[in-house]
Amino acid sequence: MAPNVGYVIAAYVVTAIALGGYILRLFARTRSAKRRAQTIAERRHGGV
Amino acid sequence: MAATAERALGRATSRGGERTLGISALLALGVSAVLSLIVAPPDAVQGEVQRIMYVHVPAAWLAYLSFFVVFVASIAYLRTKKTRWDRVAAASAEIGVLFTALAIVLGMLWGKPVWGTWWTWDPRLTTTAVLLLIYVSYLAIRRITDNPSRRARWAAVVGIVGFVDVPIVHLSVVWWRSLHQGSTVFRLGGPEIEGTMLLALLVGVAAFTVTYAYLMTLRLRVGRLEERAAREALSPLIGAER
Repeated sequence: MAPNVGYVIAAYVVTAIALGGYILRLFARTRSAKRRAQTIAERRHGGV
Repeated sequence: MAATAERALGRATSRGGERTLGISALLALGVSAVLSLIVAPPDAVQGEVQRIMYVHVPAAWLAYLSFFVVFVASIAYLRTKKTRWDRVAAASAEIGVLFTALAIVLGMLWGKPVWGTWWTWDPRLTTTAVLLLIYVSYLAIRRITDNPSRRARWAAVVGIVGFVDVPIVHLSVVWWRSLHQGSTVFRLGGPEIEGTMLLALLVGVAAFTVTYAYLMTLRLRVGRLEERAAREALSPLIGAER
């Protein structure tokens, strides 16, 4: 293996984790905000 | 012009547009990885480790772009007081922080084998660290107040003033003696880089730009949903119910 290849692998892995991780977090935030809005709307609907 | 930008934003943030952007981003990143890891030759001096450039430089450029969008959207918000501009600025700032942190970490991974150190208080590195702090502060300021218009106004001011650091970061290698290399592509006399390497770098920048557009559509949707949830929670009907 050529010298310093480990740094290159680490750089590409870090990039993939950062971008992939952020996308997954955005999906989770979307789900959670949808659920929150839905729960509140249902409560309001039921209460009126 | 603002109306055209808003229409384009509307098309891109539709569910179909979002899916297309996601697939395009994935394909572009794949092509970029093949070009930079397989097709481009190793550097004559640095060898294989120079391949970090194909992710480090795009990450840094996208940080600049993100903060430019924050700057423009902040001005648009202060002029029009339309919430969607504040939402665009907040989304772009968050993504910009991600790209800035990524550029710093990738630079450290490149610096260790080439400079012999993970970090040094070099002008480029220091001004980039300051840039990261400015936009982390921008995100923190957004959490200080619950009043949406006050939050948007304060954030817009920081978004406009904070952008001053972007040209300072870019020109730091020209203004001060720096360990960091100068501009390779945008320089007088043309790019000082081999053809295949330049192609891999430009494809990398394009791939990161499409990824940024995709992240923006996702983040804008999160912003809209979170605002809707907050609005629902603050509804007077809920208060009456309690």
